[in-house]
Amino acid sequence: MKYKLKDFLRNKKYEYLIFILPALILIIIFYILPVALSVYISFTPLKNWNLDKYLGTIVGFRNYERFFHMLQYDPIIRNVFLTTIAFIGITLVINVLGGLLLALATYFVSQKFSSVFRTLWLLPRMAPIAVYSLVWYYFFHGSDIGTLNSFLMYLGLIKKPISWGYDIIPWGPWSIIIFVNGLVGVSFGMIIFTSAISNIPKELVIAARVDGASNWQISTKIFIPLMKWHILYVTTWQLLSLLTTYAHIFLLVQWGLVSKQYGTTWSLYIYQVAFTGRTDQGLAAAAGVILVIVGGILGYITLRILGFERMITKPRGDI
Amino acid sequence: MSLRDVEVRARKTEAIIALAIILATSPIIIGFSLIILSSFSKSMVTNFDPSSFHLTLENWINLLQGKSAAVGGLKENILKYTLNTAVVALGVSLVVTLVGTMSGYAISRMNFRYRKHFLLLILLLHAFPGSVLIVGVYFIYRLMSPIAMGSITTFSFFYVIIARASLEIPMAVWLMKGFFDLIPWEVEWAALIDGASRLTVWRKVMLPLVKPGIAAILLFGFLAGWQDLIYVRTFLAEKTLATFIEYNLGTLEFAEMPLVAAAATLYLLPTIIFFITSQQLLLKVSLAGLKR
Repeated sequence: MKYKLKDFLRNKKYEYLIFILPALILIIIFYILPVALSVYISFTPLKNWNLDKYLGTIVGFRNYERFFHMLQYDPIIRNVFLTTIAFIGITLVINVLGGLLLALATYFVSQKFSSVFRTLWLLPRMAPIAVYSLVWYYFFHGSDIGTLNSFLMYLGLIKKPISWGYDIIPWGPWSIIIFVNGLVGVSFGMIIFTSAISNIPKELVIAARVDGASNWQISTKIFIPLMKWHILYVTTWQLLSLLTTYAHIFLLVQWGLVSKQYGTTWSLYIYQVAFTGRTDQGLAAAAGVILVIVGGILGYITLRILGFERMITKPRGDI
Repeated sequence: MSLRDVEVRARKTEAIIALAIILATSPIIIGFSLIILSSFSKSMVTNFDPSSFHLTLENWINLLQGKSAAVGGLKENILKYTLNTAVVALGVSLVVTLVGTMSGYAISRMNFRYRKHFLLLILLLHAFPGSVLIVGVYFIYRLMSPIAMGSITTFSFFYVIIARASLEIPMAVWLMKGFFDLIPWEVEWAALIDGASRLTVWRKVMLPLVKPGIAAILLFGFLAGWQDLIYVRTFLAEKTLATFIEYNLGTLEFAEMPLVAAAATLYLLPTIIFFITSQQLLLKVSLAGLKR
């Protein structure tokens, strides 16, 4: 038996299996199986993770009907959708434009200075999420201990502290979640664009300089036209990641810095319904399945737009 | 240093741009500094009011001795939470590195039958983060978790590590593929013609050649596990620094906030250290998606 297994592994045809098996197993357990199980849970009335009681019951499409019904009549779910759309739309613009501006700006200053600041901009992405949330909790705090409030009061722009997460509905809470997530995303664009700029032949810049071009002209006439693919890449990639991530705003809502009603996006809503308070996994799974379908379609379109075939050229000269 | 621009750039415009960059970065600098500063103060110093700052090391001493008044006099073993965080981070780092180097090699160097499908799958999962599948992942956790209470802690560590690592697998595979792509083929041909198996070539010839890649992926996996909040709070039977901070802010009235600030600073420390020591590596990792 042992001999046969060894023989099998020696076979050139199946050698690759040893290499891709670990990844394949993890992908099956943690991506494919969860999708299948989510579909199953979405057809059951599972509540409070009481598997014994609810798992055997199938209620058909009731969770989906509930979801769409709530979408029409329940202000909470409607707000989740409005928040998701506003959040994704505005954060995406901030991410792409902010990343572009930072990459261009850091190009035109000395290299030492720019590398320090580029690293600082990585901090939101790499810092522990709990610490990052704590930072913004105090920054936007609604009382006079909040950094922003005390700064504005010092300048004399406001008389008493503003409760940013509750007062100016819906733009107060939206601004906070957009700002907090926007900073995380900016670094992604900045890094991609910086690398793209560094790959552009510098003779172009020097020729333009000799002709008397300004920084602005060099940016808009040389760099941006040559970075079209990268801008598309950052936009589509960031769109998908904004649709599905919720870690950076989870604590802000949990700690009550922003109102739950206007601080909850679709993916955060799924997590809240499944794991916090009175949980309802059937509904969460239904909302999750719809999100996976939307995301899957968007993901496929993304790869088509970016030229998937180009990204997976065959290995050269394999024996 | 490569040529970037001509030397005759106006100093004045450069200064203006630099100022704009500093201004745009200021919320990040101020926000993080105030938390670190608060950890050395008797009360939080988040409002530019110098009178609220009283220098003290009390928070740090209390924190390290576990004498936290945070949750109604309950003893909090912060060193254990730090250790728990480190175990998760190291575990994620190792799993991500092993899987990434293996599959990255295969899709870079081998031309197997379903290579295209495998790559499409990896790219699709890379584009569409799996954190949204957590309901299903928790369901599997419940199905797999052992009945015996004694082993549940060990199991939860094991589970949180591989579940969290799986989130990073598509990125890791793609990153390592990029590193393997850069190695000349001749090295490998020589070994293969001498009769070495692919596994030997991978282990003895290729891995030493992609050391920068391995360092990058180890670091990247560590930071991913270290920063995590959602998976740890959902699956882990024990507290980490992340959940410690979460629960203590939830009970704000009783919590000693500067103590929490000290915990946050401690939690931030490894990230900062990696920032200072391996800037270039971090930038390289963040570029991983961009291989054509």
